[in-house]
Amino acid sequence: MASGSIIEIKGLSKTYGSGSKQTAALSNLDLSVNRGEIFGYLGPNGAGKTTTIRLLLDLIRPSQGDAKIFGMDVRADSVEVHRRIGFFPAELSLWEGRSGDQIIQYVASVRGDAKGIVKHAGELAERLDLDTTKRVRDLSSGNKRKLGLVIAMMHSPELLILDEPTGGLDPLVQQTFHTMMDEYRDKGKTVFLSSHVLSEVQAICDRVGILRDGELKAVESVEKITNVEFNWVDVNFRDAVPAGLQQKLENMPTITDVSANGARVRMRMIGDFDPLLRAISDGYVESLHIEEPTLEEIFLAYYSGDKETS
Amino acid sequence: MSGIVIGNTLRTSWKQILYWGLGLGALGLYIDFIASSPDIISGYAELFKTMPPAMLKAFGASDVALFTTSEGWIVSIFVSEAAIFLSVFAVMAGLNITANDEQSGVMDVILSLPISRAAYILERWIGYALIGLAIILLTAAITVGGVVGMNIEAPSDVIFASILNLYPSMLLVMTVTSLLATVMRRRALAIGLSAAFVIVSYLFNAIGAAAGGAAADLMESLSYFSYVHGEAFVLGTYDPMNTVLVLVAVAIGFGLSLKMFVSRDIGI
Repeated sequence: MASGSIIEIKGLSKTYGSGSKQTAALSNLDLSVNRGEIFGYLGPNGAGKTTTIRLLLDLIRPSQGDAKIFGMDVRADSVEVHRRIGFFPAELSLWEGRSGDQIIQYVASVRGDAKGIVKHAGELAERLDLDTTKRVRDLSSGNKRKLGLVIAMMHSPELLILDEPTGGLDPLVQQTFHTMMDEYRDKGKTVFLSSHVLSEVQAICDRVGILRDGELKAVESVEKITNVEFNWVDVNFRDAVPAGLQQKLENMPTITDVSANGARVRMRMIGDFDPLLRAISDGYVESLHIEEPTLEEIFLAYYSGDKETS
Repeated sequence: MSGIVIGNTLRTSWKQILYWGLGLGALGLYIDFIASSPDIISGYAELFKTMPPAMLKAFGASDVALFTTSEGWIVSIFVSEAAIFLSVFAVMAGLNITANDEQSGVMDVILSLPISRAAYILERWIGYALIGLAIILLTAAITVGGVVGMNIEAPSDVIFASILNLYPSMLLVMTVTSLLATVMRRRALAIGLSAAFVIVSYLFNAIGAAAGGAAADLMESLSYFSYVHGEAFVLGTYDPMNTVLVLVAVAIGFGLSLKMFVSRDIGI
């Protein structure tokens, strides 16, 4: 195990099916996650994020390679590994007919030290504004996910493995969640967080791994990824696009991919907004729409040399 | 093995014990009520004399003389019917061991906890085995209570033992269902195959007992129903080896089920 590594993955592969129907969900993954960091595992749907997490939790078995957590084999030492981790699945399912309190009590019993864990679960539920007396079937999907977070965190694990944790949570709770993650990091604990939402990863992660088609394409600090960040900007004028504006925009160093259509002009922009705002001030701007790039676009930008232009 | 999963299984399933135990107990009381009337018993005995052996077998007796006594009536009729109802419970219990939680996705949360797959399936199996035992004991208690309460002249211990003898076969059906669920990984397929196992067993027992010859004997011996006949307790021909055979099959089935569950991918 590398010094300070909490998760160490070597040559991990997973294929499903056999013969001509065989598909590779994950190919030859090498990855290490350090103690005390929040690691973002990024990729579009179907990239292999959940497969990696299920392999780490020994829910599925690798076709090749191995993975270690805390220096222990995730399969041979699964019980000891699970004692020290908390897990939140992307497709969270809980016992529908049981209340949050009953589930917390049961999970805490399996983990041992039920009294202390249940007490901490109560504190977490309060922070997340969750009523644990209700049965799961009576909870909204957002509240079910809050309960899932409480179950994952209530024993203060050394490592949190979270698969798309904030989908369905309202913005206020997302903010509370981000604060909780910061607190985790401050305590020297580690978080492995999968997501396809770039802004979330940017907000809380130290490093990110980018996964595509089952292959790890890059592991970078969030800072580096942020440096290649750009936005798609749509400007809608009341009348037609002012004459010469398209040419003017194309000549600007921070703007590329300019296209005009009727009263609308669309472009890719990096850096500050001020030059753009000055350039479009000749026309009457009705609306301005800024669109975050997709992960795929970030990825392509990163590897097509835009890093330097940024 | 901590016993926490067993405790949780019992805590969340005690209503099943009550409903199934009271339901089967009510059936036992109804059979007791018929057995309390000599006129009704003799009337049925006359009717059974006119039946072909296969149909008689379907009522759980190889000899019509059994129906002329109260204990023969209770044991033959009730045990055959209870065996079928308990098979339904056993299929449901077998699915509850792992299949239902795996299908719903709850298994992902469970297996992320510090409990091994082997310990989990073992504790779930023991939990449902205890629930099945409690149901059978409650059923037997109500049925024997009816015998005593209605002043029926029948040995309570024979009736109690014949009902308790349903337990190994219930365990077998539960284990077979659990095994099918771990192998097939699809609940609907496991239900279908388990139901087929029960139905084919029932037919093998009925046909095998009615027909003669080596093939018929083999068919009968392959059916778990042939190992739960209550009449052996009335006639004094009960062979403990039959129970041992069923329990060995249960142990093998559970061993395979555990091996499959431990070694394969979960979910997906």
